Amino acid sequence: MNRRDFLRKACFAGLGLSIPGTLDSFLGHLYASEYADIGVARGASPGAATKAAIDLIGGISRFISRGDIVVVKPNIGWDRTPEQAANTNPEVVAGLVTLCYDAGAKKVKVFDNPCVDPRRSYHQSGIKDAASAVGGEVSFMDERKFKDVALGGRFLKKWPLYADILEADKVINVPIAKVHGSSTLTLGMKNWMGIMGGWRGRVHMNLDQGIVDISQFMKPALIVLDAVRILTAHGPQGGNLVDVKTLNTVIAGTDQVAVDAYGTTLFGLTGSSLGYVRMGHEIGLGTMDLSRLTIRTVAV
Amino acid sequence: MKAHTLRSLRRLFQGIFLFLFLFLFIQTESKGEDELGYPVRIFLDFDPLIALSTLLSAHTLVAGFFLSLIVVVLTVFLGRVFCGWICPLGTLHDSVGSFNRRKAAQTRLGWHTLKYYILIFLLASSLFTVQITGIMDPISLLIRSLSLSVYPLLNYLASAFFDTLYILDIPVATDVSEWVYDVLRRAVLSFEQPHFFQGILMGVLFFLILGLNLYERRFWCTYLCPLGALLGVLSRYALLKRSVSEGCTACGVCRRVCPSDAVIDGSGTWRGAECLYCMDCDDLCPEEAISFGWKGSREGVPIDLSRRNVFLSLTAGVAAAPLLRIVPWSGGGWHNPALIRPPGALAEKEFLRRCVRCGECMKVCITNGLQPTLFEAGLEGVWTPRLVPKVGYCEFRCTLCGQVCPTGAIVSLSVPEKQKTKIGMAVIDPGRCLPYAYDTPCLVCEEMCPTPEKAIWLEETVVRSREGKEIVLKRPRVDVERCVGCGICEARCPVRGRPAIYVISTNESRSDDNRFLLTP
Repeated sequence: MNRRDFLRKACFAGLGLSIPGTLDSFLGHLYASEYADIGVARGASPGAATKAAIDLIGGISRFISRGDIVVVKPNIGWDRTPEQAANTNPEVVAGLVTLCYDAGAKKVKVFDNPCVDPRRSYHQSGIKDAASAVGGEVSFMDERKFKDVALGGRFLKKWPLYADILEADKVINVPIAKVHGSSTLTLGMKNWMGIMGGWRGRVHMNLDQGIVDISQFMKPALIVLDAVRILTAHGPQGGNLVDVKTLNTVIAGTDQVAVDAYGTTLFGLTGSSLGYVRMGHEIGLGTMDLSRLTIRTVAV
Repeated sequence: MKAHTLRSLRRLFQGIFLFLFLFLFIQTESKGEDELGYPVRIFLDFDPLIALSTLLSAHTLVAGFFLSLIVVVLTVFLGRVFCGWICPLGTLHDSVGSFNRRKAAQTRLGWHTLKYYILIFLLASSLFTVQITGIMDPISLLIRSLSLSVYPLLNYLASAFFDTLYILDIPVATDVSEWVYDVLRRAVLSFEQPHFFQGILMGVLFFLILGLNLYERRFWCTYLCPLGALLGVLSRYALLKRSVSEGCTACGVCRRVCPSDAVIDGSGTWRGAECLYCMDCDDLCPEEAISFGWKGSREGVPIDLSRRNVFLSLTAGVAAAPLLRIVPWSGGGWHNPALIRPPGALAEKEFLRRCVRCGECMKVCITNGLQPTLFEAGLEGVWTPRLVPKVGYCEFRCTLCGQVCPTGAIVSLSVPEKQKTKIGMAVIDPGRCLPYAYDTPCLVCEEMCPTPEKAIWLEETVVRSREGKEIVLKRPRVDVERCVGCGICEARCPVRGRPAIYVISTNESRSDDNRFLLTP
């Protein structure tokens, strides 16, 4: 073949080879806009709302693979009933456990380190019964299973964390949205305190930094923020039904900072109202600028 | 009767009652629910000595009174079968006593009458409103000793053993041991290791009492037990009697074998009030000359109490009340800030008349906060319960202590009633509290406060650090009208050792006198 022929064939070959690449990135953008960054589902059934919110961000199979050992980490911090909105809604937890098994998870463990008596917290919250009923492995945390971990944080250099969390394939954070005296609000990032051992009271000496330290260490597959009922006063324990507001909403996302920033809007605040959200944004752990994110809402 | 048939039958009964007792003991623990679900204190309800002494000291019938009448009727007709066939402490005595190998006819101490003098002393003091009977009542003693000492001890042993295997992490062996440990923890072991003040003393006393069986079998039952004495008195005209036929060769086997030294000689005279109806003499008589039935030579030798000793015990019992109460802390107006009583406790005078120191409340307390007093309530109040927040706080929505109290010293409150009951008030020490003394944020106490309207509130202040920098701090303040004195703030305060916020008994709602604010 002569030089002209060669150049002509090379050009066509090159163009042809680049088609899959350009098509792929073109189609990639199309697929990416299928998932929202944050999914918000509203509905009377907490279980259905949980599934709907996760579907908006890509469905459970995007996060849980077959054979995974999953830890679903709810807030079971207090001896309160579901109506009092101090612990994660048991139906949200049960819904999540079911979804994980549907995606092929081998084991779904459910636990938390309550601030008061674990037997009462697990039972009165309804979480023990609801999660066990759908096959979740609910257990009290075992003192012996805490291992010192180098967190690499600015305030918390090292802290004992629970072995089951460190050994899990995927961890899903399932907090409830509440007000809190010391940290203004408690949402997802604060919920990590439940996997910490040791004397957690000390963390309060620099709480915002402590929360950022533990959050930047944890890499949750998914965050599901329970806003079926939220606690609007006298948190984090509440106790008076007057302080509970029913929103029947469940929020899902993968960016810890973004989900918490969205959570603040439920209380009429913004992400920058919370020290730890602002600090998380500043170090690049996530974004609190909701305007840059795709937020989709659905009613079920 | 064929040899050993009665013994086997009796042992079966003893085993069943001991198992039932221990089962209920194990169930005296929270599972997370509001109600316990088992009648865990039922052995105390059946106890006539508890019923009688509470009737005398508090002029009130305890809730389980009618059940104790069943034991009374049983004893009136059948003698001290309770002691021989039912009492769980008696069964433990028999178990330890089986190691007593003294074969030769030993000289018995013959102190049978001592327990009657003890009974007279206790009942006389009860009449004068001193309720110390529970210290020597066998059911109360057993529950208290198990709760405060033996059960924690066994838990510790189990944990130490299994934790060692866990740490060693031997393949297969550790998996098996963890599985066994899990089963034991669900079925028998405590949720958390219990810790009790005076646990050592309780344990030593208990093992001493059991150890006495190695000297003489059923030592406690024969010489010391006031319930045994009471039942002995009631069995005076029992229809079930021991009789000896002419076949008796006076070999003396029955006398040697009798655990309570009730056999005097072969003629059939027998200390009826001492007989535990164990029927070992019937089983073991080589001539089968002994039998228990409705016809029999009556009544054995009556209880031989000397008038002088009766008078002495009576006097001692009568003198006990004033002697215990002439100290300042027994008078009205003296309020020990460390004497935080459980929620539902009656006012102190009434409380002390009812509390039998059985230890049920201390066993059931889900945070291990209820501890036995030594002198905090005076000598009269020894071994009554008080809350020690450094060990355990009072869980806000829990009402278990009132549910298990056999005499109503702690009233069984509903959850809403309990949440309005103050057992004390929290006090902040600004010399130690982090935001007051060290310019460091904290606020754990505010977070932990379980009252729905928050008895601890945060006051924002601006201070200057040592370098002159302005710091904004939130400092805790106690709202005394809302504080119930549960003690979780003290229990969780990060200033360990001597917390910066602590609870004192002042403002407890059960006391008209120990009030802080002049509010209803």
